[in-house]
Amino acid sequence: MINFVDTLIEKKAAEEIVGVKASDSKYIFGKLANAGELCLNYDVTLLPPKKYFLPQRETVFKFKLGDKPSLEPVAEAKSTILIGVHPYDIKAIELCDAVFTTINPDPNYLLKRDKATIIGTDCLSPNPKAFCASLDTATTESGFDLMLTDIGDSYVVAIGTAKGDKLLKKYAKTREATQSELAGRDGQRKKALGEYKVSLNMSPEEIPGLLEVSWGSPVFKEKSEPCLSCGSCVMVCPTCVCFDVQDDVAFTLDKGERYRQWDGCMLVDFAKVATGENFRDDKEKRFRHRMYRKGKYLQERYGKLGCVGCGRCALACLAQIASPAETFNLLKAS
Amino acid sequence: MKPKIAFFDFTGCEGCQLEVLNFETEILDLLNQVDIVNFREAMTEREDNYEIAFIDGAISTESDVARIKAIRDQAKVLVAIGSCSSLGGVNCLKNFYSMDEVLKIVYGKDAEYYNTIPARPVSAVVPVDYSIAQCPVNRYEFIKVTKALLLGKKPEIPNYPVCVECKLAENVCVFDKGQTCLGPVTRAGCGAICITQGRHCWGCRGLVDEPNTDSEKEILKEHGLTVEDILKKFRIYDGWLEVAK
Repeated sequence: MINFVDTLIEKKAAEEIVGVKASDSKYIFGKLANAGELCLNYDVTLLPPKKYFLPQRETVFKFKLGDKPSLEPVAEAKSTILIGVHPYDIKAIELCDAVFTTINPDPNYLLKRDKATIIGTDCLSPNPKAFCASLDTATTESGFDLMLTDIGDSYVVAIGTAKGDKLLKKYAKTREATQSELAGRDGQRKKALGEYKVSLNMSPEEIPGLLEVSWGSPVFKEKSEPCLSCGSCVMVCPTCVCFDVQDDVAFTLDKGERYRQWDGCMLVDFAKVATGENFRDDKEKRFRHRMYRKGKYLQERYGKLGCVGCGRCALACLAQIASPAETFNLLKAS
Repeated sequence: MKPKIAFFDFTGCEGCQLEVLNFETEILDLLNQVDIVNFREAMTEREDNYEIAFIDGAISTESDVARIKAIRDQAKVLVAIGSCSSLGGVNCLKNFYSMDEVLKIVYGKDAEYYNTIPARPVSAVVPVDYSIAQCPVNRYEFIKVTKALLLGKKPEIPNYPVCVECKLAENVCVFDKGQTCLGPVTRAGCGAICITQGRHCWGCRGLVDEPNTDSEKEILKEHGLTVEDILKKFRIYDGWLEVAK
């Protein structure tokens, strides 16, 4: 594996070789200088790999004012290989793909996405807030170019696409996996399923229907009482796709750029409109909206649940209220 | 005609004016768009026919009160820059003593020759159009607000907590490092600079519009702070507000 990654870096297999690295006591996706930096046995990264397709801040066009106003779209992308993406994040990227291709295809997202190669890795040590086993997102059969599973002394590689196959043939030494190695992979995946500390007391298919009848539930008010409206849960979410759009004008006041930056429905001003009206003006409404977004609305529109169970929101939430699993379980129990 | 702008300092370290002056790359661009007619830190000439007034420093004497009222009468737009003018800031630490006591501490036997009133933000005395708190003022935000005013637009000043910018910067949460932080209730706009540099948020940009300070206090308690510790934390910049009392 080290040879493979070092070769990708040395031979410049892409403009950016990105992987999971340690950062303080946590993990992040970042540019790899060498294979030694790569940590494949991680629990979860602070931000999901979504940032490579929908950056925190991105210029969408440049404009000129004056007698002949003009605008020039900006869409930039570097070829990127992402190494170490967990299955739940791959599922989340598949949902983002649906969002950014349906109705109004997003050129900025799609350009970056097209130039990316995803090398996944099975999550063998889930974080304490994750509940992927309950959402069928602990493993995935799609959405990757290559998928790695650590079986101790070597990696089993599943080939997802022709692009992945080509990359593997060109830069890695491989051989056909034996039956016992494949059994080893199954064993690792099965063992990991037993590691999840949080679980849903219902099947994922039941969630939209549960929410359908829960609109007036007191659970939303009770749970949201300590909410700081700090937006941490939505900022770290791999399926949150909302952004705000603003202009940055040059000091000459005759030109500038329009950029978008991550925004989120848990923030106080998110649903505020120009007249000052706020359609979700208290934390209970915002909290409920987020739960419906994750458990119902996205499912209805894209056929995929809006939550992949990664647990990032619950890890980031100081008030300890963000886990969708917790709220869904409470609603089910009440 | 270029709009005329003026800078005025009250009780504070004047670091905010220095911060504006230090913005060498854009200060010349600024001069192409406006005439600066009053700027003690930078020039001798003074005129009183300005349209936009930028104020730094808190109001802490009777003469400050009269002076800020006169500035408000002249200025079409009044912008508080920095934590002292926007929030009262560190000056409000003195409000937790009696005024006689602070005069004695500072001026000793000459105390009788001075007057002082509890420190307060500019908005406690006159209407303020926009406040951009930060210690010192964030020069990029100062430029952003100035450009918006020149374009006749409402300046966009974030109304979400520092946590948002901390997450965007992919910082490890200060609480996860076993320390405490005012980021969850403090207005963003600094780019989470202190946390990114390895410290915690001190609250110098003041509170967001709807802070859940009860929840923040609970969280600080759970992370080992006493009620007194918590009040001290809020008093550094938010001493003027109920949350620190």
